[in-house]
Amino acid sequence: MIVRGDSDRRWRRIFLILGIVVAAYALLAPLTSLDAAQSAGVPLLADRLWFRIATFIAMFVVMATAWNIIGGITGYAAFGNVAFFGIGAYTTGMLIAKARWPFLVALPVAPIIATAFATLIGLPLLRLRGHYFAVASLGVGVAVGELVQNVEYHGQPIFGGASGLFLPIYSIDNRGLFFFYLMVLAAGISIAVTWWVLRSRFGYGLIAIRENEEAAAVLGVNTTAYKVAAFALAAALTGMAGGIFSQWNVFINQDNAFPIEYNVQMILMALLGGTGTVFGPAAGAVLLQLLIQFLGGSLPISADIPFVSDAARPIVAQVILGVLLVVVVIFVPRGVIDFFGGRTRLSLAYLRRSLRETSL
Amino acid sequence: MADFVQLVILGLLAGGVYVAVGVGFGLVWGVLNIVNLAHGSLVIVGGYLTWQLFTTLHLDPFLTLPVDAVALFVFGYALQRGVINRIIRAPLLFTFLLTFGLNLIVVNMLLLIFGSDFRSVTPSYSGQGLELGSIVIPYVRLISLGVAIALSASLAFVLNRTRTGLAINAIAADRDAAQLVGIDLRHAYAVTYGLGAACAGVAGGLIAMIQAITPTAGEPYTLQAFVVVILGGLGRVSATVVGGLAFGLVEAFGQSIPGSGSVFANAIAFSLMVLVLVTRPQGLLGRLR
Amino acid sequence: MSAETKPQLELRQVTKRFGGVAAVDGVTFEVAKGDIVGIIGPNGAGKTTLLNCISGLYRLDGGDIRWDGASISGMAPHRVARLGIGRTFQIVRPFGSMTVRENAAIGALFGSAEARRKPKEAFEIADEVLELVGLAAKAGHPVSTLTIPDRKRLEVARAVATKPHLLLLDEVMAGLNNVEIDQALDMIRKVHATGVTVLLIEHVMRVIIGVCRRAIVLDFGQVLAEGEPDVVLRDERVIQAYLGERYAKRLKS
Repeated sequence: MIVRGDSDRRWRRIFLILGIVVAAYALLAPLTSLDAAQSAGVPLLADRLWFRIATFIAMFVVMATAWNIIGGITGYAAFGNVAFFGIGAYTTGMLIAKARWPFLVALPVAPIIATAFATLIGLPLLRLRGHYFAVASLGVGVAVGELVQNVEYHGQPIFGGASGLFLPIYSIDNRGLFFFYLMVLAAGISIAVTWWVLRSRFGYGLIAIRENEEAAAVLGVNTTAYKVAAFALAAALTGMAGGIFSQWNVFINQDNAFPIEYNVQMILMALLGGTGTVFGPAAGAVLLQLLIQFLGGSLPISADIPFVSDAARPIVAQVILGVLLVVVVIFVPRGVIDFFGGRTRLSLAYLRRSLRETSL
Repeated sequence: MADFVQLVILGLLAGGVYVAVGVGFGLVWGVLNIVNLAHGSLVIVGGYLTWQLFTTLHLDPFLTLPVDAVALFVFGYALQRGVINRIIRAPLLFTFLLTFGLNLIVVNMLLLIFGSDFRSVTPSYSGQGLELGSIVIPYVRLISLGVAIALSASLAFVLNRTRTGLAINAIAADRDAAQLVGIDLRHAYAVTYGLGAACAGVAGGLIAMIQAITPTAGEPYTLQAFVVVILGGLGRVSATVVGGLAFGLVEAFGQSIPGSGSVFANAIAFSLMVLVLVTRPQGLLGRLR
Repeated sequence: MSAETKPQLELRQVTKRFGGVAAVDGVTFEVAKGDIVGIIGPNGAGKTTLLNCISGLYRLDGGDIRWDGASISGMAPHRVARLGIGRTFQIVRPFGSMTVRENAAIGALFGSAEARRKPKEAFEIADEVLELVGLAAKAGHPVSTLTIPDRKRLEVARAVATKPHLLLLDEVMAGLNNVEIDQALDMIRKVHATGVTVLLIEHVMRVIIGVCRRAIVLDFGQVLAEGEPDVVLRDERVIQAYLGERYAKRLKS
C-alpha cells in the first residue's frame, strides 16, 4: 500500500522550495554581471568560473533528462548516448569551422543529424534487450568517437583528427551569460519535452514498453516505432547540448566530445534524482555535478581534504566519487527513486528492505 | 601469400591476449549476469603486480602469473562477497553503475600508488623471437598465446570437472533451482567472480610484457572483452577462445587495409560487434539462453 | 454463405517449429463471427504457441492465417491488435508501475485503429471496462496489490479495452478456485454478450462445456478433434490423449 506520512510530505515540500530557490538564484545571478548592474553597484554573483560551472551543470541537466526518455521512461539502458553529444558537437563545429556558417544557423542542424543517426542505429539496436542493448549502444558510442577522430580523406583528417577542431570565437557581448542562458534554455526544453511525453499517448506507450514489451505490442503499441522515436528524441536533445558545447568551448576533440564517462554520469544523475520523472534527472544532474566539481576542487567553497596534497587531490576526488557511487548503488537502489517518485517514504527500515531485496 | 600468413600469425598472437582478457569477463557475465566494467582495471592490477615482482624481486615475468592469479582471486572473491553480492538482484543498470564505481576506485588507487608513468616489463629475452622465413615471432607473444590457451583450458576444466565448477554451471542455468539443491550461492558467486578476476590478472601479467601500462590503460580491455565475448557467444569458455582469436584476426586484417591504420582497430572491432549482436545475438558459437 | 457463418478467423495449415520440433503442425480451423470456441489439449500441445502465431508474436513457418478474408500472417503484433484481435497472457503481464485504471487505459489508447484517443477518453473507456470485469472498485490501486484472480481480470480488461472483435483468452482460469472460476465464466459471458467473438484456451473441462459452443482439441501441435464440446470430450482419442498424459506424469513422479 502507499503510505505517505506527513513528514514525507513536508520533506518533499522542503525539497521543492529548495529547488525553486536554487533555480531562481541560478537564473538571476548572471544578471549581476551585466555592465548596467555593475555600474549600479550590485555585487557580482557570477564570475567566469561561476558561468563555466553553471553552464556545465545545465549541459548535464540536458543529457540526464534526455537519457531519461530512453533509459528511464522506455526502460532501454542506453550506454552510448555520448555519441549523440559528440555528433551534435561535431556537426555544429564542422559547419562553423569549415563551412563558416553562423552559429545560430549551425546549431539546429546538430539535433537533426543526431536524430537521423539515432534512427539509423536504433532500428537494429533496439531489437536487442537488456545487457545486449546496453553493450551494443556502448559500442556504437566508442566506435563513433574513434571514427570522428580518425577518418581521413587524401591523408587529411576530415574532422580535425587527433589535434581536434578549433572554432572561431563567437563574438557577442556577455558571452558567458549568453551561453549559460542558451544551455539553460536547452535544459528547459528537455524538461518540457519530458513533461509533455509523460502526459501524452506516446509516453503511456513508452511506459507500457518498459513494463512489458510483448503485452504492449498485443495491445496495439507500435513498439519498434515508439522505441526508435524515444531514442531519437533523446538523441535530438543530447545533440543540441553538444552543438551548444562546441561553440561555447571553442575547441572540440575526441576527449571532450565523446567522453565515455559521461555515459555513466548521465545515468547516475537520472538514477539519483529518479528515473521516469520530470524533474528527477535534472535534480540529480545538479547535485552530482556540484559534487564532482567540489571534489575536484573547482568550487570556490572547496575545503581541503585532510592528508591529501593538492597534486593528489583530483585522484582522491575520483576515489571518493567511486566510493559514493558504490554506496549509493548498494544502499539506495530503490529508495531515492521511489522517494522522489512519491511512492514510498525514505526510512532506515526501507533502506534495509531494499538492500534485502537486491542482495543474495 | 607470405603477407597473408604473416597477418594470420599476427592476428592469432594478438588474439591470444584477447582470449586471456575475455575469458574472465565472459565467465562473470555468463554466470553472474554482471557486465563487469571493472574488468579492465583488474587486468591492470595484474599488470602492476607482475611489474612490481619483476622489478623488485627480479622474478621471470611468466613465473609471476600464478601470483597474479592467486592475488586477484582473493581480491575478486572478497569484492563479490562483500560488495557485489548485495545488489545481485537489482536491475541491470545498478550492476553497471556499481562495477563502474569499483573501476573508478581501483584505477585511482593505482594512480595514487604507482603514479601515472608508463611501466613495462622487459625480461632479457623480450627482444628475441622465432624466425620463420621473413617473419619474426616474438617469444613473449608466442608464450603468451600458449598461456592464454592454457588458462582457458584450465578454466574449462575447473568448470566442467570440479565440484565447484558444476555448482557454478548449475547457477548459470537456474539460480533459484541451484539454491534449492543446496549450493551456497554467496560462496559460489564469489568463487566465480574470483576466477574471473584471476583470469584478468593473468591477462594483465601478459599485457605488461607486451606493452607499457598505466593505471588508466584498463578501459580498452573492458571494451575488448565485450567484443570478444559477444563475438564468441556467452556461456562457454571455448566460445570465448574462438571469439578472442577471431577478434585478433579481424583486427590484424582490418589494420592491413590501406589507409586505415591501427587507429581504426576499435572502430572496426565495435562495428563488428554491433553487427554480430544484431544479426546473431547468441554469438558465433553461442546458444541462446 | 450468410454473414453469420462467414468465417472471421481462418487458420490454414498453420505451422510453427522450434529447432526441429513442430510445436504447431498444420493446424486448420475457422472461427465464425460471434462464436465462442474453446481450444483444449494437454500441456505442450501447442495451444499458447498457436495464440502467439495468431497475435503476431511468432512468425509462421508454414500456412496462413486470415482475418475477414485477408491474410495477417507476418503482421506485427500491434497491427494485429488494431485489426481488432485482442488477447491475454496465461502468465499475466501487468504494467507493474501503473495503476489498474492506467493498465486498462493502455488498451483503449492503442488498441483501436479508427481512433487515436487522448488519454482522457482512454481513461473513460478504462472505467467502463473495469466495471464490466468487476474491477471498478480497485481502479486506483497499483497492480502490485492485486490478487491472482484480479490480475487475471485485469488481463481481460486490458484486452477488452482495445475494443476487439475477437478476444483470445489464454487460460484465464488457471490457478483459480471453483468460486473464482464461476465468476470468471460470468465475466466471459458478459464480454461475449457485447458482441465479441471469443477463442479461449482452457485446461479446465468445465469451462469448455460451460461456455463454449465449439471445442477444438489440440495434441502434439495437431488438431485431434473438433465439434460440440460434450461430443468432443467423449471422443476416445481425446480421452486417451489426456489419460496418456496422466500416466506419463505418474511415471515421472
